[in-house]
Amino acid sequence: MLTAADLERGALKPTWCPGCGNFGMYRALKEAIEELGLAAEELVMVWGIGCHGNGADFYNVQGFHGLHGRALPLATGIALTRPDLTVIVEMGDGDGYGIGGNHFLHSVRRNIDLTAIFHNNQIYGLTTGQASPTSDQFMRTPSTPGGVIEEPVNPVGVAVAQGATFVARGFAGDIPHLKELYKRAIQHKGFSLVDVYQPCVTWNKVNTFSWFRERIYKVEDLPDYDPRDRTKAFHLSMSTFHELTCAPDECRIPIGVFLEDPDSFTYQDGLPQLDRPMFKHAERPRDITQALEPYRV
Amino acid sequence: MPATPAELRVRIGGEAGFGIKAAGQMLARTFAHEGLEVFDLTEYPSLIRGGHNTYLLRASTEPVYSHVEPVDVLACLNRETLDRHHAEVVDGGAVIFDPDDFDAATVPQRLRSVPVPLTAMAREAGGKIMRNTVALGAVLGVVGFPLDPLGDSLRQQFARKAPEVAESNIAAARAGYDAARAACPDFFVQLSPAPGAPPRLLVDGNEAIGLGALAAGIGFYAAYPMTPASSLLHFMAAHEKSAGVVVKHTEDEIAAMNMVVGAAFGGTRAMCATSGGGFALMVEAFGMAGVSESAVVVGVFTRPGPATGMPTWTEQSDLRYVIHAAQGEFPRVVLAPGDREDAFRLTWQAFNLADQLQTPVVILGDSYLSDNRQTVPFFDLDEVTVERGKLIAEGDVADHPEALGPDGVYLRYKVTEDGVSWRALPGVRGARQLANSYEHDERGFGALGEEAAVRLAQNEKRMRKLELARAIVPPPARFGSPPEEADIGIVLFGTTKGPAREAARMLAREGVRVAILQVVTLWPFPAEEVAAFMDAARRTAVVEGNLTGQLESLVREHALREPDARLHRYDGRPFSPEQIARFVKEVL
Ligand SMILES: Cc1ncc(C[n+]2csc(CCOP(=O)(O)OP(=O)(O)O)c2C)c(N)n1
Ligand code: SF4
Repeated sequence: MLTAADLERGALKPTWCPGCGNFGMYRALKEAIEELGLAAEELVMVWGIGCHGNGADFYNVQGFHGLHGRALPLATGIALTRPDLTVIVEMGDGDGYGIGGNHFLHSVRRNIDLTAIFHNNQIYGLTTGQASPTSDQFMRTPSTPGGVIEEPVNPVGVAVAQGATFVARGFAGDIPHLKELYKRAIQHKGFSLVDVYQPCVTWNKVNTFSWFRERIYKVEDLPDYDPRDRTKAFHLSMSTFHELTCAPDECRIPIGVFLEDPDSFTYQDGLPQLDRPMFKHAERPRDITQALEPYRV
Repeated sequence: MPATPAELRVRIGGEAGFGIKAAGQMLARTFAHEGLEVFDLTEYPSLIRGGHNTYLLRASTEPVYSHVEPVDVLACLNRETLDRHHAEVVDGGAVIFDPDDFDAATVPQRLRSVPVPLTAMAREAGGKIMRNTVALGAVLGVVGFPLDPLGDSLRQQFARKAPEVAESNIAAARAGYDAARAACPDFFVQLSPAPGAPPRLLVDGNEAIGLGALAAGIGFYAAYPMTPASSLLHFMAAHEKSAGVVVKHTEDEIAAMNMVVGAAFGGTRAMCATSGGGFALMVEAFGMAGVSESAVVVGVFTRPGPATGMPTWTEQSDLRYVIHAAQGEFPRVVLAPGDREDAFRLTWQAFNLADQLQTPVVILGDSYLSDNRQTVPFFDLDEVTVERGKLIAEGDVADHPEALGPDGVYLRYKVTEDGVSWRALPGVRGARQLANSYEHDERGFGALGEEAAVRLAQNEKRMRKLELARAIVPPPARFGSPPEEADIGIVLFGTTKGPAREAARMLAREGVRVAILQVVTLWPFPAEEVAAFMDAARRTAVVEGNLTGQLESLVREHALREPDARLHRYDGRPFSPEQIARFVKEVL
């Protein structure tokens, strides 16, 4: 079984800016993996490119540090051929909702059995602070000096609307809560989205830890909230739009599990040929006599 | 010049939606079943309805390697077919047409008019839709080939439909047969079955590639539809359940290539295929396969570009593109099948090379290969091998000291003499690895990959694989006369092979000796073999299907030789043997 200490042993020390939200996510995930009792051999992690992706060096796991925006299809290739593995993907908001937005949409509707964790700092960290698809409207950044004109992507809303079977939002400043979200997400059979507010202390001076602390509340604290009710989940996802100027009493941000469908039909369920890992098909040449029949003359 | 009696060349033309291709393929299957060798060429614009479609078929008692320009029989399902194609018909050749479509007087005098009331006969047999079947019957009637084998093919074709469907089609064919036989009983080509022919296969290039991938033990195929690669997606999907392969039609080519790299990471033999436009989207992940040392196979089937270009036509203009695709430098192998036999063999070999070299392997084809069918000797299945290279698939990595560093830690990117490191799959105990798209150190850490010494070691290690590749990739193939005895030595790649072999055969009859060197592995480029061939030949030429002379530029750059002549074609059509033969005679 992997312990949080194992996950660090032999890996590099994190080089994130002191105070970065990535640290909280790192700790929460290591603890979640330890508490789930996953074996080192059965876990594979995949990363996109960004500050979050540098985390690839900080975990001692088997994994793949892929391309900017393309972690989901890379992970899908692993998940669709190695059903024996638990696959966890980490992406950034520019990474996963911007350049990789198309893959996000299709991975959700596919219900691939894997866990996708988004480091949502509402900014591009590694490329020095440009606006991201989740930056608030009117936010000023070096690439939007006059302020962002577009509406931000609402990942939770999109995922719920697109038929996701597990949708959660976390906050890097609440590690025990985040850890529980991770555990539920990893255990969920199907595509699990955990969108995590991860303050970037260097480039995003608006959506800071304290900004979030003043506005966040937990879905679990809502009276009679039922995460199986997709319409309610969608409503809740729409209540989250917050503007840069909003005062704490005007905009409140729910975190927790918005939606959970425990009996979903996963993509892998539709592939009976996954009865063994696909690499075993190439132990010797495949007999293609039958396949040749229609062409024989 | 009429064809020798042992060979028939026929073109069927009509509007898209008339079932030209289906009818032609039925005829091809019929001939092949009866022991003849066939080659077909389907030409069609990128439309589903409307537009002009033609199907060209050659059937012979000898092996055939390509299509040809002149035809003996032209079957017109509309007026446009006559207008566009009458010039290709040999003197005395037959024109089958419906007198309701146009006046017999418009058929040029030098040709033999074979009026067959296609529409009326089809109606009589049960429906206008069977016009193409009437025409098929008429083609057989003209050349005196027995009708029964076509009946068998029709029964097979419509086996899943009500028996009346096959029977009315047979009646339609018989009506056309009898009418043509009566109108033209003494045609100069008369074909008969060739009993006792060895078992062969009638396949197009994509089928041959798909069969090669299946034989290699492919476990994952991902693609986004793009002509002419789409039919390979259909082929793989059709075998998904029976062969146990996972086949994914992805959201785009970017996803396809990334998924394939992911599948390869898990140890699966994985492939994607597309045309130039799709490959453009794959290129970043293609480079990732290079730096992460992933064993992947990528089919790039060229059509004329740039951008959307001419979707249903052919060209050989993506050679430089696949050789250089992606930023930076990394080793790759590019294989170019020349025909359907090559396509099968090079595909299973591509999987072996990808595993042995842990780097991407490209199968460079084109529409002329993908879309057209050919009878080939039954594939030699005993020849197929699976070589997985330095792979630890299961167990404990501690049992493989050669894969470990001095401190006993597994090194995914261990610097080795031949450039290939031991690959341990996820699930192997103790083998925690980080595959990386960033430059990285021996363990895979990206931050350390930026050290100058690490960069040098890893970059050079990867590039050393090219030396290993030189020793194990398929060498160039030679056809025709030995170069020392030839009047001309032609260097070519890919599907120019077939027309050039036919041209050599034609020229041999006239006493002209042609030597052909087919560059099978384009990268790493076989400089020594090409130079030796060119030095041996009295005169040399490069023949290739592009405007800028991409193969010639590789010959100059690597073999340091300059050909005496060159022939290029880039109008979307493949070379014909006649065109190459004319060229040879001009330059000699
Ligand atoms: C195809 C491509 N385009 C651009 C980049 C440059 N790039 C690297 S990280 C990044 C954005 C990172 O932002 P985000 O995804 O939000 O992650 P963060 O750094 O904030 O964790 C960009 C644009 C790249 N690596 N690849
Ligand atoms: S730039 Fe922002 S996201 Fe990146 S490490 Fe620093 S604080 Fe974290």
